[in-house]
Amino acid sequence: MDILNQLIQGFATAGTPINLLWAFVGCALGTAVGVLPGIGPATAVAMLLPITSHVDATASMIFFAGIYYGAMYGGSTTSILLNTPGETASMVTAMEGNKMAKSGRAGAALATAAIGSFVAGTIATLMVTLFAPVVAEYAVRLGPPEYFCLMLLALLTVSAVLGRSTVRGLASLFVGLAIGLVGMDQITGQARYTGGVPELLDGVEIVLVAVGLFAVAEALHAVLFEGSSHGSQNKLSRVSMTASDWRRSLPAWLRGTAIGAPFGCIPAGGTEIPTFLSYAVEKKLAKGEHQAEFGKKGAIEGVAGPEAANNATVTTALIPLLTLGIPVSNTTAILLGAFQNYGIQPGPQLFTNSAALVWALIASLYIGNVMLLVLNLPLVGLWVKLLKVPKPQLYAGILIFATVGAYGMRQSAFDLVLLYAIGVLGLVMRRFDFPTAPVVVGMILGPLAEAQLRNALSIGEGKWTVFLERPMSLGLLGVVLAVLVLPRVFKKRG
Amino acid sequence: MLAVSDKQRQSAVALGVLALSVGLGWGAIDISSEAGYAGIGPNFLPWLVAVGLAVVGVILLAEAHSGGFRNMPDPLAPDAPPVSAPCWSGFVWMSGALLLNAALITRIGFILSCALCFACAAHGLRQAQSGARQGLRSWLVDGAIGLLITAPVYWMFTKFLAISLPGLTQSGWL
Repeated sequence: MDILNQLIQGFATAGTPINLLWAFVGCALGTAVGVLPGIGPATAVAMLLPITSHVDATASMIFFAGIYYGAMYGGSTTSILLNTPGETASMVTAMEGNKMAKSGRAGAALATAAIGSFVAGTIATLMVTLFAPVVAEYAVRLGPPEYFCLMLLALLTVSAVLGRSTVRGLASLFVGLAIGLVGMDQITGQARYTGGVPELLDGVEIVLVAVGLFAVAEALHAVLFEGSSHGSQNKLSRVSMTASDWRRSLPAWLRGTAIGAPFGCIPAGGTEIPTFLSYAVEKKLAKGEHQAEFGKKGAIEGVAGPEAANNATVTTALIPLLTLGIPVSNTTAILLGAFQNYGIQPGPQLFTNSAALVWALIASLYIGNVMLLVLNLPLVGLWVKLLKVPKPQLYAGILIFATVGAYGMRQSAFDLVLLYAIGVLGLVMRRFDFPTAPVVVGMILGPLAEAQLRNALSIGEGKWTVFLERPMSLGLLGVVLAVLVLPRVFKKRG
Repeated sequence: MLAVSDKQRQSAVALGVLALSVGLGWGAIDISSEAGYAGIGPNFLPWLVAVGLAVVGVILLAEAHSGGFRNMPDPLAPDAPPVSAPCWSGFVWMSGALLLNAALITRIGFILSCALCFACAAHGLRQAQSGARQGLRSWLVDGAIGLLITAPVYWMFTKFLAISLPGLTQSGWL
């Protein structure tokens, strides 16, 4: 029981008072940013990246994981109570959750979302515990060609497959790759696009790009286009579930988990597909009067299933991040950046070289789930008060934290000008419906993929056929092709 | 059908993409192509990205001139987020807030500079919401709230997390 021993070791590390405190603060902060509109987990983690220069790796990864997790719990609160659609991750929850809240069942919707998140999160963490070491062991055997194919898969799905338009997705991806090019070439050490500025040798800071694209762009968009819009809020009822609610929720949670978990494992990110899939399944399986509730009074299965699927996907997404070093979303990309700040490159070696850190992180996920259940069930009324913060103060406050993140990283006032410029870029992108995730993922994954590509070609002595000669990489290229072609074929057929 | 101005805006975005492509290509000329065993050198990805941006830019330009970008979100859909007429004065206030902050942060310190940024940005947002003129009182309230946020933030980040932020004095408290 090697895994069990290491997990116990992890609990010992994560259970020290100071690490528990980091986990708690992370979960609380995560819930807060999840509840507040205009700021999400990716922004929050990015703003706090400067702490990586002073706080030790284990503590800050536990902290960041808490934010990552907590935001998922908080996000469902907002989507159930506010009548405006929030992030894509909680869009499906909003469909039924909103209807339930309107018919006076907000409390039950919140409860099933929180408990469902807990059930799914815990099962998915168990899967991370059991499978991540296995995947890592297997991944050691992958060579540069296979890695490159996996990264290509991640880059192409995030830009070309998810989202409304392939052309705009690819445009965003290329912009991200272009930003990633700035700095020293990983293999030859040659400077590229630095314009002779020594600070740029290390590349463009992730904080600047992420905070600019998300926080500053969001605030600029709010001031420019959302002035007169007022969202209305549903009334909170007692947060509890009846026996019948439990009976209906439990199978939905488990089905949602079963649907969501596999999606996180493959480097083809996004929570939209599993949540929509879970919603469709629940609607199909519901019978009689329960089915009639869908879209009318609001069916509890339609909240329980997608919410569980969402959390399961988000949790198992840590498997490709930790074992392969491949991020599939904004937040995991920024978490990868946090690892890099410590000089740690997630990948198969992580489980041997930084075993203590990884297992403490996994243990903290179990702990975090329990903390979040407590934070979100009895204390949900507290978080709902956050929705009362008026918009001007909310966005102006976000700008202060954006400044802390951007300035704190390098102590350069010029970075603040750059932050504004990236914010304007993000505003234009949002206005014309260019997705932002490909920029962040491309910027972080691009240099890694380039290095793998060149190493792969070195192995093949300069011949591109190296990708076709190895069965594993050939198979992965097949998957890439399938992911690109199949959705289009299905769409054509309706 | 698109209004003329929409077509122009989308074309401008497409041209921006093309300009970035040209810039990257121009910069790629100076990057060595020394390839070693790989057959491709440090200049491979820059050229690939430049060409990719050029292709995408041309497609976007073509789309803009033939009915607009494809698959845009429908602003008339029932669940579409509400969009109001752009409020440029609010935008100017917020831009000013951010740029003024960049100019002043090392001179008057984090606390005062960010509180000013907060007040200006909040002013802009309020203008966008109501369009009405606001008196001295709302300025004072915003300034006070700004200070109430920035001062604890400054102390928390500099004292507990050891992230250095600029102060007005050397005392570490202001």
